[in-house]
Amino acid sequence: MARERQRFKIGCSDALPVGQMKLVELNGREVGVIRLHSGELRAVMNRCPHKGAPICKGIVGGAWDSCGPGDITLDKSREVLVCPWHGFEFDLSTGKEVFWKRPASLRMYPIEDIEGEIFVMM
Amino acid sequence: MGVSLLRTIPDQLQCTVTSMDGLNELTNTDTKNSHDAKLRIFDCDVHPVPKEGLTSLTAYLPTAWKERFDRKQAIHNGLNVPIRFRHPNGSVVRQDARTPDGGPAASSPEFLARDLLDRHGIEGALLNCFDAGGLLSAQTSTEESIVLAAAYNDYFIEEWLGGDRRLKYAPAVPTQDPVSSATEVRRIGKHSQVAAVFIPLVNVLMGHRYYWPIYEACEELGLPVYVHVTGIESIFSGTPTLAMGTADSYIERYAAVPQVGMASVASLILSGTLEKFPKLKFIFAEYGFLWVASLLYRLDRTWRGLRHEVPWVRKPPSEYVHERFLFTTQPCDEPDDPSELQTLISMLGHDVLCFSTDYPHWDNDMPDSTLRMLEPSARKAVFFDNAARAFRL
Repeated sequence: MARERQRFKIGCSDALPVGQMKLVELNGREVGVIRLHSGELRAVMNRCPHKGAPICKGIVGGAWDSCGPGDITLDKSREVLVCPWHGFEFDLSTGKEVFWKRPASLRMYPIEDIEGEIFVMM
Repeated sequence: MGVSLLRTIPDQLQCTVTSMDGLNELTNTDTKNSHDAKLRIFDCDVHPVPKEGLTSLTAYLPTAWKERFDRKQAIHNGLNVPIRFRHPNGSVVRQDARTPDGGPAASSPEFLARDLLDRHGIEGALLNCFDAGGLLSAQTSTEESIVLAAAYNDYFIEEWLGGDRRLKYAPAVPTQDPVSSATEVRRIGKHSQVAAVFIPLVNVLMGHRYYWPIYEACEELGLPVYVHVTGIESIFSGTPTLAMGTADSYIERYAAVPQVGMASVASLILSGTLEKFPKLKFIFAEYGFLWVASLLYRLDRTWRGLRHEVPWVRKPPSEYVHERFLFTTQPCDEPDDPSELQTLISMLGHDVLCFSTDYPHWDNDMPDSTLRMLEPSARKAVFFDNAARAFRL
């Protein structure tokens, strides 16, 4: 039988600037919450699916691309979370690992902004 | 009762053997591909030599260059190339492969065809001159290396290719000058039996822009790049170095030389050179192949985490290798239990392997005794199909 989700209040919406991960403990689990450039919110379990690292303490950067050797571009509109251990990259808009042929996924929780208050369901 | 073992060696070298265990096995090497007669075989690594060494090249040198080499007695002294690692038995060349008139092994296209192709049911072979590779990458004068490369190539095209269409050729280029190398590729690369370009490596990683003029010419002509151990790694300044210094013995250098292959594969992928030249294929000859699986696991795993450092690498490194690389099978490492080799090959994939004998060298692998544990479909791919795609057979 599916367990009923609980709703946890994180704090005021104003206290969560774009692109900065905020770590909270909910029901005994560490969860990172972040507001993307698009305005969307994400709540991520602080555990890398690769080796269990505290991934939410990693860099939140953009997506690097290239047209060929020596050419680099950085698309900051895509938030990519980089694991501080082995560097695996996850697109925060989807939770999926970037570029890998069989991408792993972050554990994501529903999150919403209700009249200026942020809530995570888990 | 005395039995002549090998009919092909000169009289003075022939020996007789009285009853001995394993004699039937020895004489069975004369059968043509006996255990799977329908298997098509292409040999991706055969080493011809000029019949009379460098003297044979003089007819292919411009007059003034011939006079120059004569005056400095370069031809007679082997261009003064100092000693390299010597095989402890005196030579890497098989004594039994000498020509019937006592000439050097692999110095006669007619005898090579009989002794290698006809005898073992091999459909064709890729020739690359091992000696030219060593000399061109180490020759002290770049200008001389350019002239000698052309002389080597003209010699083999003229003296070897005309008589037997089964013979393909990988001309050696004077790598010390990549622009001249590209010119040499364009000069002879359209010959119908030129099937690859042999780049004797210098001590520059293969992904470096240094090689790009050669790669551009190869891609333009649809010829794969062929690299081969030269035997002079770590000996001369400018030739590929082995990690942590020069080996102390032939056997030590032999065991360590796959390092060059490992570094080269990693460099080609991570430099983005494969994206720069999207149609170019690479054949690594005699660097071994079991290390490739380990390298690919490491490359894929590291790319997964550090891809943003080399964003021009647009897919997992192993994908490039399966699409664009081949590794020759000789010298085939041989675990005591053949099934272990089968497992290791399954980890790598037989799509990246192509059969080679290394004729006429001592550590050859002949078809009847090589990779027999593979499934028929894998043997078909390794012994012919993979090479056929790379060399457009």
